[in-house]
Amino acid sequence: MATLSLLLRNPFKQRMQAWIEKRNPLTGGAVTLTNRRLYILPTRFGYIYALMLFILLLAAINYQNSMAYAMTFLLTALGMISLWQTHNNLLGLQISLNSPEPTFAGDHLTLAYQLSNPAKATRYAVGIQYEEQPPGYVRVDGEATGELRLKLATHQRGLYKTAAVTIFTRYPTGLFHAWGLLRFDRDILVYPKPDFDARLEPSLNEAFDGQATIDTTDGDDFAGLRGHRMGESLRHISWKAYAQGRGMLTKTFQGHASPSLNIRWQDMSAPSPEGKLSQMTAMVVQAHQSGRKYAMTLPSIDIELADGPAHYAHCLGQLAIFQQAESGRAFHASHD
Amino acid sequence: MQATTNLPIHRIGEEVASNRALEAVSISFLIAMLPHLAHLPVWVSMLALFAIGWRILQARAQLWPAPKWLLVPLIMAGGIGVFAQYWTIVGREPGLALLTVMTSFKFLETRTHRDVLLLIFLCYFLLAMHFLFGQSIQIAIYMFGVLIIITSTLISINQRDDSLTFLPRIKNASRLIALSIPIMIVLFVLVPRIPGPLWGLTQEQRGGVTGLSETMSPGQISNLITSNEVAFRVTFDGPIPAQQQLYWRGPVMSAFNGNTWFQVRRKKLEQFPQMEASNPVDYTVTLEPHGKSWIFGLDLPAQLIDDSYLSADFQLTSEKPVNDLKRYDLSSYLTYKLAVDESFDYLVKATELPADKNPKTRALGQQWAREFKNDLDIVNQALAMFRNEPYVYTLRPPLLGDNPSDEFLFDTRRGFCEHYASSFALLMRAAGIPARVVTGYQGGEVNALGGHLIVRQSDAHAWTEVWLDNRGWIRIDPTAAVSPDRIENGLDQALPDELATFRISTRNPLISRLLFGWDHIQNQWNTWVLNYNQSRQNRFLRNLGIGIQGWGDMIIYLVFTMVCLLGLYGLVGWYRQRPQPPREHDRIIAPVLHKLAKAGFPRNPSEDLIEFADRVQQAIGRQDIELEKLVRTYNKIKYASGYDRPVILARFRRLCERWSPAGAD
Repeated sequence: MATLSLLLRNPFKQRMQAWIEKRNPLTGGAVTLTNRRLYILPTRFGYIYALMLFILLLAAINYQNSMAYAMTFLLTALGMISLWQTHNNLLGLQISLNSPEPTFAGDHLTLAYQLSNPAKATRYAVGIQYEEQPPGYVRVDGEATGELRLKLATHQRGLYKTAAVTIFTRYPTGLFHAWGLLRFDRDILVYPKPDFDARLEPSLNEAFDGQATIDTTDGDDFAGLRGHRMGESLRHISWKAYAQGRGMLTKTFQGHASPSLNIRWQDMSAPSPEGKLSQMTAMVVQAHQSGRKYAMTLPSIDIELADGPAHYAHCLGQLAIFQQAESGRAFHASHD
Repeated sequence: MQATTNLPIHRIGEEVASNRALEAVSISFLIAMLPHLAHLPVWVSMLALFAIGWRILQARAQLWPAPKWLLVPLIMAGGIGVFAQYWTIVGREPGLALLTVMTSFKFLETRTHRDVLLLIFLCYFLLAMHFLFGQSIQIAIYMFGVLIIITSTLISINQRDDSLTFLPRIKNASRLIALSIPIMIVLFVLVPRIPGPLWGLTQEQRGGVTGLSETMSPGQISNLITSNEVAFRVTFDGPIPAQQQLYWRGPVMSAFNGNTWFQVRRKKLEQFPQMEASNPVDYTVTLEPHGKSWIFGLDLPAQLIDDSYLSADFQLTSEKPVNDLKRYDLSSYLTYKLAVDESFDYLVKATELPADKNPKTRALGQQWAREFKNDLDIVNQALAMFRNEPYVYTLRPPLLGDNPSDEFLFDTRRGFCEHYASSFALLMRAAGIPARVVTGYQGGEVNALGGHLIVRQSDAHAWTEVWLDNRGWIRIDPTAAVSPDRIENGLDQALPDELATFRISTRNPLISRLLFGWDHIQNQWNTWVLNYNQSRQNRFLRNLGIGIQGWGDMIIYLVFTMVCLLGLYGLVGWYRQRPQPPREHDRIIAPVLHKLAKAGFPRNPSEDLIEFADRVQQAIGRQDIELEKLVRTYNKIKYASGYDRPVILARFRRLCERWSPAGAD
């Protein structure tokens, strides 16, 4: 039985998937789930339920029992209403996905889907399923926005695209499965896994010695507020801002930068290219954290001496995509 | 640059049901099963309670689950147990027992989300089975309540949100059911009814039902009298005949063993007896199930109803026991003169008496036979005796011994209708006049509100019929001779000291109105809901005036009505789901957000504006006091109350108009 259903289901499912993909082009912005984008079919329980209704009807006819008829019809009506309500539970939802923050290979990457509900009715048990992973569920109140975060485990550096996710619901009765396919055209950037263990031998770049200033938490002059980073001392948090409900913000001050670095491919001690990339990543991270200026050299590209978040992201991005392998295992998803 | 994702494929693990879901489904099962306890063998009920208790304890206290290998033998044992109980597994009671046993074992192995869903469907099934045992309004109301609870369980399991409490869940379920009801009504009225049964029903006679029995001995009817249960309700096409004409003919008994009267199986009449009669009374009877096969009609029925026959003693008999509410149209002649032909054998039997019992009664009868030439004089002599001598009509006659008629007629002289009917028939037989006892009901109470007659068990009665040459069978009611009140005004009027009345009309006027109203509702329920069968459906739809006739029309109208109804729902649903127009404060702030987005700071839909403003300020590296002010005002308008709205909106509008990204750069 199981084999038969597999045989029957798979070609059908594949063909349907292809058809659905054609109807759901890749998108960069928000997707509104319209009738065109939504599909609905009975679940396994829907079929069992139908069988139950048929048996009840037979009993009603056989015993000529009016209340058995009434109950059969009421449950039939319940099924019809739930077809409509299951579909409505997704209809009109607007979903968007911002490009996720880049992450280091081995860490978790979070895809945060924003579901906004422009209607008054609450949407219950809206599930998002990333490929074959266990789904995550969210409830979106009327005229509100919910967020569903899918955590993906990363394994290998590189630039990836988000896979299509299925947004689905079986609310309220579980008799029907309504779904839509979301194909967001978003980049996922995975930096190489930093190798902090290696003994690093950076070349000091004497020419750019110490005139620049940099925002640190222990300088002299107040410079502003920025988001709190893990590991920073709580002493530097702006509790005033926190009390205003603005979250954990760190007070930054202007101080003097340390000597700058030149991080070069050819100086790395690791034998393999991936090892070299990991070492370089670790150095970039350390240099950035200590507030130094640094330059980076790869066989394909030279990045000039600079500092700041944009420079940091640029360097790591180049390390991530350097001679990227054609394919590889990227993510294990888990939801939270 | 090649960008790919490549994920390992593995099956999704079965979702394990939460304890809360398990408990909710247990409660659903318990309340669905509660009224079934009366129909189930005790061991099945105990098994169900044990299984549920065990499963909940196991979830709560982390006990060991029941081992899987044990389930198959358990289920087989359960099946064998049910078979041993009933010697069959088909039919109503065995089916119910089997379903309960299986569901109980399913509870033991319930672990996943799927198992719980399956259990809910089994609960629906169990619920529907109630209606095979009874369809009263009370049961329907209870079932409706249970249906909502089961549905709320189903919804909450699919909701995957444990934050909702009981009441909102009930509300959601009620809304779903409320939406279903109009569809149910359309289906109920318009889906063509198929005449059943599709397969043979076991013709079990139901025990424990109050009503007349196949035999009559002194004391039997007086037991019935204390029940106020409704035997049947009657709606007359014309005016309701006088009380003393309302003899509802039931089982006819023509065999006597000295103490008890029995029915004699008689052949079906191929055609209606010839009779002189006119002005038939037309009426409709809604007979409550009594588990026996006789059907009550006014003496004497003038026609047959479906699946019934008239036996040679003019007893209307159904082909199968009346186990469900039965509604039938009938007409009767209240005054009639039957043609004089009766089988000789039967007439001989109708004078037989046990030779060793009631010697004094037999002697009196024989004496009258010698004294009077005319049979009618003998009848009148007996009635005169009851009328003139100190006979007492009472519900509490003294106990009688081996010769009950002798003791009653000559000694105690206190008796109920069965004493009078039995002794009278005995006297007649002793005098050589064929006689028999007829049981049934006499009278009834008129419900003026519904315009129908209520006949209760307390209206049970017994009378006699004697065979007179040239006259045929005629009805003689000896009770009328003793207590004319009983026949004209009812038992409670005849015996006001002995019997608390069941008559609604004797109550306090307000209560009486309420009770009559309730009785009326029950009658309407019986008429319109429980008896909505093929013929009633045809008649109803024909009379609707839109000319629905036959299956084809019904299906066309069904589809049409469903499309209209679902279209209406769709419209309402679309209206409710329509995107809400942006609020005023959202409209005012939109240009600001637009400018920020153009400057490279798009807002996440789920981001609170204050978070967003912080993010922007961090990104540009300095504070924007104007933006912060603006955002705080926005939140004040959106979340806080107690502000003068026009004033704060005007201020907000000024802030938004004044703000520019240039100030931020």
